[in-house]
Amino acid sequence: MNFLHRFLLGVCLLPSVLTATEPRLSFNRDIRPILSDRCYHCHGPDGSERKADLRLDLRGEDALLVLAPGDVQASEVIKRVFSKDADEVMPPPESHKTLTDDEKAKLRRWIEEGAEYEPHWAYAPLVRPAVPSAGSKENPIDSFVRARHPASSAGFAPEASPERLLRRLSLDLTGLPPTESERAAFLSDRAPGAYERVVDRLLASPRFGERMAVWWLDIARFTDTVGFHGDQNQRIFPYRDYVIAAFNANKPFDQFTIEQLAGDLLPSPTVEQRVATGYNRLNMMTREGGAQPKEYLAKYGAERVRSVAAAWLGSTFGCAECHDHKFDPIPTRDFYQLQAFFADVKQWGVYHDYTYTPNPDLKGFSNDHPFPPELQVDSPYLQDRDRAARAALVQYLDTWSGAKSPATAERAAWIGSARAWVSAHAGLWQPVEASGLRYKRGQTDPVGPLGVAPTGALELGAKARSGDEIRVVLKPAPGRYASLRIDLGGVAFPVEDNEGSGFRVFAFQLHSGGAHRRVDVHFADATAKRPRYRNGAELDGVADGWRLPAEAGAEPLAGAWVFQQPIEVKPGDELHLRLAYDVTGAVRFSLSPFATLDPRRLLQDELVQALDPKSRMAPAARQSLLTEAWLGAGARDADAQAKARRLASEIRTFQGGKAWTLVTEAADPLPVRVLPRGNWQDESGPVVLPATPSFLPGQRVSTPEQRLTRLDLARWIVSPENPITARTVANRLWQPFFGTALSAVVDDLGSQGELPSHPELLDWLAAEFRESGWDVKHLVRLIVTSRTYRQSSVHRPGLRETDPANRLLTAQNPRRLEAEFVRDNALFVADLLDLRAIGGPSIRPYQPAGHYAALQFPDRDYVDDGAEEQWRRGVYMHWQRTFLHPMLVNFDAPNRDECTAQRSLSNTPQQALTLLNDPTFVEAARAFAVRLLTGPGRSDAERIERGFVLAVGRPPKPEDRDRLVALLAAQTEHYRAHPDDARRLLAVGLQRSPATLPAPLLAAWTQVGRVLLNAQETITRY
Amino acid sequence: MNFLTPDQINRRTFLTRSAYGLGGLSFALLADRLLGSETVQPAEPGWRGALRHPHFPVKARRIIYLCMAGGPSHLETFDYKPELVRLDGQVFPDSFTQGQQLAQLQNTVLKARGPIAPFSRRGQCGMEVCDLFPHIGGLADELCVIRSMKTEQINHDTAHAFMNTGSIIKGRPSMGSWLLYGLGSESENLPGFVVLTSKGRNGVQPVSARQWSSGVLPSRFQGIQFQSQGDAVHYIGNPDGVCQSTQRQVIEEVQRLNGSLAEEMLDPEIATRIAQYELAFKMQASVPELTDFKSESPAMLERYGIKQPGDGSFASNCLLARRLAERGVRMIQLYHRGWDHHSDIVGGMKEGALAVDQATAALISDLKERGMLDDTLVLWGGEFGRTPMGQGTGRDHHILGFSLFMAGGGVKKGTVYGATDELGYRATQDVVDVHDLHATLLALMGVDHLRLNTKFQGLDIRLTGIAGKVVRGVMA
Repeated sequence: MNFLHRFLLGVCLLPSVLTATEPRLSFNRDIRPILSDRCYHCHGPDGSERKADLRLDLRGEDALLVLAPGDVQASEVIKRVFSKDADEVMPPPESHKTLTDDEKAKLRRWIEEGAEYEPHWAYAPLVRPAVPSAGSKENPIDSFVRARHPASSAGFAPEASPERLLRRLSLDLTGLPPTESERAAFLSDRAPGAYERVVDRLLASPRFGERMAVWWLDIARFTDTVGFHGDQNQRIFPYRDYVIAAFNANKPFDQFTIEQLAGDLLPSPTVEQRVATGYNRLNMMTREGGAQPKEYLAKYGAERVRSVAAAWLGSTFGCAECHDHKFDPIPTRDFYQLQAFFADVKQWGVYHDYTYTPNPDLKGFSNDHPFPPELQVDSPYLQDRDRAARAALVQYLDTWSGAKSPATAERAAWIGSARAWVSAHAGLWQPVEASGLRYKRGQTDPVGPLGVAPTGALELGAKARSGDEIRVVLKPAPGRYASLRIDLGGVAFPVEDNEGSGFRVFAFQLHSGGAHRRVDVHFADATAKRPRYRNGAELDGVADGWRLPAEAGAEPLAGAWVFQQPIEVKPGDELHLRLAYDVTGAVRFSLSPFATLDPRRLLQDELVQALDPKSRMAPAARQSLLTEAWLGAGARDADAQAKARRLASEIRTFQGGKAWTLVTEAADPLPVRVLPRGNWQDESGPVVLPATPSFLPGQRVSTPEQRLTRLDLARWIVSPENPITARTVANRLWQPFFGTALSAVVDDLGSQGELPSHPELLDWLAAEFRESGWDVKHLVRLIVTSRTYRQSSVHRPGLRETDPANRLLTAQNPRRLEAEFVRDNALFVADLLDLRAIGGPSIRPYQPAGHYAALQFPDRDYVDDGAEEQWRRGVYMHWQRTFLHPMLVNFDAPNRDECTAQRSLSNTPQQALTLLNDPTFVEAARAFAVRLLTGPGRSDAERIERGFVLAVGRPPKPEDRDRLVALLAAQTEHYRAHPDDARRLLAVGLQRSPATLPAPLLAAWTQVGRVLLNAQETITRY
Repeated sequence: MNFLTPDQINRRTFLTRSAYGLGGLSFALLADRLLGSETVQPAEPGWRGALRHPHFPVKARRIIYLCMAGGPSHLETFDYKPELVRLDGQVFPDSFTQGQQLAQLQNTVLKARGPIAPFSRRGQCGMEVCDLFPHIGGLADELCVIRSMKTEQINHDTAHAFMNTGSIIKGRPSMGSWLLYGLGSESENLPGFVVLTSKGRNGVQPVSARQWSSGVLPSRFQGIQFQSQGDAVHYIGNPDGVCQSTQRQVIEEVQRLNGSLAEEMLDPEIATRIAQYELAFKMQASVPELTDFKSESPAMLERYGIKQPGDGSFASNCLLARRLAERGVRMIQLYHRGWDHHSDIVGGMKEGALAVDQATAALISDLKERGMLDDTLVLWGGEFGRTPMGQGTGRDHHILGFSLFMAGGGVKKGTVYGATDELGYRATQDVVDVHDLHATLLALMGVDHLRLNTKFQGLDIRLTGIAGKVVRGVMA
């Protein structure tokens, strides 16, 4: 599908055959589109623009007067429409709108026939229509579709070939092609119900949820970043996990709706229900300097109305922000009444605390802070990773603890000396004599010395300001030290700045003789701290800043700084520290020869216990901790230490299996006014209370005594009285399986939208959906088991003239895969796709350097993920609103600034360049080559045949196969002559190929892989 | 070489479509719906534009938009205010500011700040230009300065969106996308809408790719950003270890497979895909040729003030802009991020002027010497201006009055259009809002802004929304 197709959708082109056989014109089908597009602007629902006091959207007295039903001679409308006089003709020339002869003729005929109106189809009560061939065993979908097949056509196309059908079904339901064994099983299954069994298998696959999530996340405008200005990261991935899980568990769509809009208002909401309310927080947010909080609250509120109306009501409320809707009966008041439901969503217009717009709720916030309110939840993905990483560390430590350890003697000797040190110093730490000088911000000369308390602690002084620093000189006893400890007492916070209160060791030197050298800190952590952030992510430890807990002072605080390498202190040596600080209190310094992977263990007496043979500690834990401490500071094997540290720092990245996620918290509702012309500074409009749209059945309205809530809204949206939600969702669920929905403009079921190609079928599906308990899998199963769906997509000559867009469904439609599945499919074919886990944080595939160069506040670094995350599915890709990953952009993924129910489908050179040159696809081609080279097949031709089947689901035509065999031969020769090129090609990406495969051969096969991954058939499901 | 020639492709496309395809019939129908009868069927894959013929005489064939991101001060560029000099340091009159929006000056005492640099009368026309911009001032007789701009958005993100798309609603196409959609491109092997970015030392603000998005128009009309590091265009370079001949063979086999598929499927997308691979391969050659400045003389580099060709500086981007213009690119947009002078406006303006003054002037005079200025419209300006009130050592954002200039492509030369009040606070004479600017730019390109639209969610949306009037006073 290309842009033409999108235009097609946009202009609602329906086949002309629809009218050819109808004796009588239908208002909804034939007349409303004309009146709406050419007349309603001045004679429609918007009262402020109405001309001549005439509205034609209703059959009122004013309309009847000018229409003169049944009497075209008397009809002012006909007179004006056919007039040649520029002053008289309608629509007037300055509107740049004209009527075609055909449209004029329709209007005339309609008036002749009595100018009957019909209620707009989408708002009419939803009544399940009778199935045309009731009683037959036929899938009702097929009955409805068959009923509209033109008499001249041959009806349904033949069923697609089994191999194409299986690939289509697999890609449609899971976003992945079938495996070889799935294919073999299906092709050989001759028993009845073979196809239905595959449907059941795929619907039960956890990949189904990942596939459907892509569909919903566009609608929910799910992204990893806030979108405005600095486009900082927001923490929200658990919401995506919720969506995937909901589709996999086949959560009824009404419940899915209620949980997202109002999960927090349910009685005793579960964590899952609160995570779902992240939906309300996915609007774009700002923390731009100079932004007015009130203006942005208005923007957020308006966006929410547009998104909710688009997502569930298939309606375009956007226009009604400033004026009554031109085409649909949506008054401005409805817009603000809908917005009022969300007036309780706790949020801030500007997520910062600027001096000119102080924000006491977000005191000290910077560009790096998250976007509260958030909820900390368990992430099953992170828990699994955390558990595995901890097990890996324990296992690694055990290799050094056990009898088979390569360094048993060294470790034992270290334990002996460690015991001696602990008993000599009564613990792990030795206090150090310290003196200090105080410096004012930016000054080179000290203000004066720090006071020394009787305990030896240095007193920071009464009044410190951000930027002040102290320089401390420590005079340790000679020895070998691996860690520094700082104890804090009597802390108070006289100053708060953006980083919050605390201090930071930012320079650390060992002075020995006349020389000095830097002491590098490996890691530091403290008994208690407040979190610090970088672009929304919590930073580990306190090495580059220790933000003290707000309640500091009540309990003793201590931190431990583990050195990169232990230092040797000789007699007379000094340690020099510079500390930035903005607190008062007293600091005491100690040194230790010990180091543990988690520095906080040095602040407890666990290690002392482990070293004490008489203590009652579990042997495994004791040995593990002793090994940790030995590797931390004693072991001679630097690699062993580095590996242990790497494992430990990996564990920290999993945050103990916890993750934060944006949620909705209810606060006192802010007053919502009707804003004249949408102007947030104009407070002259009336304050409104929540009410559901006035033009939809079953309206619910707040009273001064009882204010409706988001929960009331959500329940009304999925209530039996409201017909439009079921229609909207059923219509939109059709699209992934046919490329075009029944009413093609899925985000506008209003007057300017399109009458469905099969109105009765859509109503039947909507009713079936609702009455089945909003059962998504049921509806999907109905669709994909229909004959309509199973038709071949090989279009037949003849039909295209009468039905160019195949809206009457006399065949399937080819459908190019969505961006995420273009990627998934290539990786899957290459046997590179990582399907081990579901859910989890967003991933960062290879991305061209500098793509974020124009991003700031904070400056942005994109680091490609390592092998653990690199090949996960596209649904998990990091979604940066202002600079979406170029591969996603090129394949038409939306940046999801707002609800996007329909992706454009383009066909561009950028897509070719991506498939040809993006390292993701180059690496996939090479992995594909490895798969073919190391798999079954006795000859190049056989291997290429296998490659074909894997890539497109069918064997090649002989001439296509032979061409690739020839390409392979030519390329093998080429790479034999250019072995350096072969090596460079093999170095693309993280995946390493087996060394047993000769580089030139693999490089040549990689070209075969590239051809197959670039083929149109590979990125399209037919 | 065994490529399909464009002719073969077109013939093939045509045959496919005339028999069964989506192309001919349906496009004609829907094009009528879209744009009345003024549209033509596109010749795939090169897009010739949705408009069959121009609405007005074509004065400009392309636009080079030098976007001074961050919002340069009009009071230190093109709008000299002696009264503000007099008032320097005093409380700013309440009568001006009452009830008006402020950005970072919210909740503060407002004091006037006089211009930080002197102005001189330049050229035959004698327009006043700030001395910080001697090169641009030297071209005063080429310029049409508008001193009466106003916008609606006071924060960078939304102000950029408004300046580029005429709306702050997401999904509205950018100006360049509209031009490409309406007029197509004259360039065979390059994107028709190219974006270049550079960055100053201070006053730097982020910009978003949203500013060159095609929004609800098909994504083929989006701006393509050229990068200053790595590949000039994402994925334009062959993979490591793949030479041109291998790349060609691979594409040839892809084309062959797709051709083989087309025999069976009769899917019009296949023909388009074949054409796009052909175009992609050509782009792989034409982009490096474009960005290679070897053919430019040292004197030319010096004239633009280029220290290191291709270093991503504004100067280097200006020369690249000229090369893009020569190759028929419809819209070339250069962002220079470095004008958000909330503090140290003295240093900031000097830095900014150093970075852009010489290169801007070189671009205009270079185009003129090549005879290209006549049909190339150069636009220079920010998303808003800056307050006549001081903010610490700088100035805050300001939307009620600011300046920009145009040159070339059908604009009046040596002209100053419109004026602000005596303090440079509010545009008072011949006010030009952003929609008016857009309407005027389109008019210079031969397009009636009321008649370039697309359907979205039931609306005929257009660049100028429901507003916009052509400013005849700036047109020659």
